[in-house]
This record gives sequence, structure tokens and C-alpha cells, in this order.
Amino acid sequence: MKIKLELYGASREFSEKNYLEFSLKEKSSINDLRNEILSFIDKNFKGNNNFKKLVESSKFCSEQNNIVANSYKITKDQKIGIIPPIGGG
Amino acid sequence: MLHVKIIDVSKEKIDLVKAQKFIASSKCGASIYFVGTVRDQNDNKKVTGITYDSHDALVIKSFEEIYKEAETKFKFENIAVFIEHIKGYAALGDTSIIIAVACKHRAQAYEFSRYIIEEIKKRTPIWKKEHYEGEDSKWLKGNPLVDQNQLK
Repeated sequence: MKIKLELYGASREFSEKNYLEFSLKEKSSINDLRNEILSFIDKNFKGNNNFKKLVESSKFCSEQNNIVANSYKITKDQKIGIIPPIGGG
Repeated sequence: MLHVKIIDVSKEKIDLVKAQKFIASSKCGASIYFVGTVRDQNDNKKVTGITYDSHDALVIKSFEEIYKEAETKFKFENIAVFIEHIKGYAALGDTSIIIAVACKHRAQAYEFSRYIIEEIKKRTPIWKKEHYEGEDSKWLKGNPLVDQNQLK
């Protein structure tokens, strides 16, 4: 499956584009996606600890704009948003 | 009665007059305007501006949820609420958010307005990148999003 990970807040530092793309196995979970992102940071940012902490403390948002649990199964190609810790207002 | 919107400052301005017009009603005896602005200092650093980032769909959804929850919690009649938040670059003194609330009585308006801003701070997906004098810009650390489903 192709996942387009839309970047927000501090996660925008992960790419000059506003998204990253990952290939995942069928019925992967959000947790699997999180691990793929952590591997991406290991490869591309020498395991930058701040980036890894950011990923670990982030939530994820489905294409239907719902915050989804770590166990949520991704069943088709789709956009997923990474939602780092927030601070508006 | 509710109005919510994300204002992309590269295309339009956030405007208090719009809020005044929206909440104006002869049924309400009290109006409160909360206006968030960019200040010049944070953590002993000289701030020159802030770039706001937003997950627009989730922001709108969270504004609507917060309003509905406040309606259920307080059970006030004849309320008008206007919430707009910007995205993009804001210079010192620029407005980042307007929350305008009109109710029958002043205590209700204060209570409703306070509830909305405190909940926005906890769970609305908006991020700030601060720009400083003589230093690199930095995304603020923020608070992990509170998952409302886990609270229920």
C-alpha cells in the first residue's frame, strides 16, 4: 500500500515537501507506519533524537479526519496526517 | 449560533468587525471578545513573529465539537459564538485568534469564552513556529493531542 504522510507543525522539518511517501504491507497498523517513519529518520537524519521523540509523541489522522489509535489498520492506499504535539491560540 | 473559520493570512485578514456583526443580537446583554496576539518575548528570547500551521479540517471539527460540548455543559439560551484562527505568518501585535461570545448575561459570556479558549489550547491541531532576533526559528514544543475518545 502507498501511504502519503501529510506533515504538520515540527514534522515539516522531515521534508522540503509537505508530505512523505511510504510503502506498507497490506493491513499495516498506525504503529507499523510510526516504525517506518522512525526508520526514515534513522536513514535520513542520523537518528535525530528530537525528530524521533516528535514521532513517538504524535497522533495520526485518517483520510476521514479522525484521530486514529495505534492499532488502527490501514486497508488501502490513503493519506494519513501526522499530528505532532499542538500549541495554537 | 456558531461561525468557525481558518483564515489564511496570505489571502485574507482576520477581522474583529466581522465578529461584532456576527454575534450582535438584541437577545444578548453581554458580549466578550477574546483576541490572541503575537507578543515580543517568549522564554527570554526576542520574538519577531510567528508562523501558524493548521490541519484545517481537524481544526474546524474541533471548534464545532468544543462549541457543542459547551452548549451541553452550560445549557445557556440564545448564545452566539464566532471563532476564527489564522494560519501563515503573523508579525508582532498581529491577531492570531478571535473568540467572540454573546450571551444573555455577563457571567455566562465569560464562562463560555474561557471554556472555548482552554479547550482549543488542549486539543486543536494548530502549531506555532517562532521567529527570533539573531537566532534560528523554532517550532514550539506543544502538548500531545488529547484523544477525546480515550477520555470517554
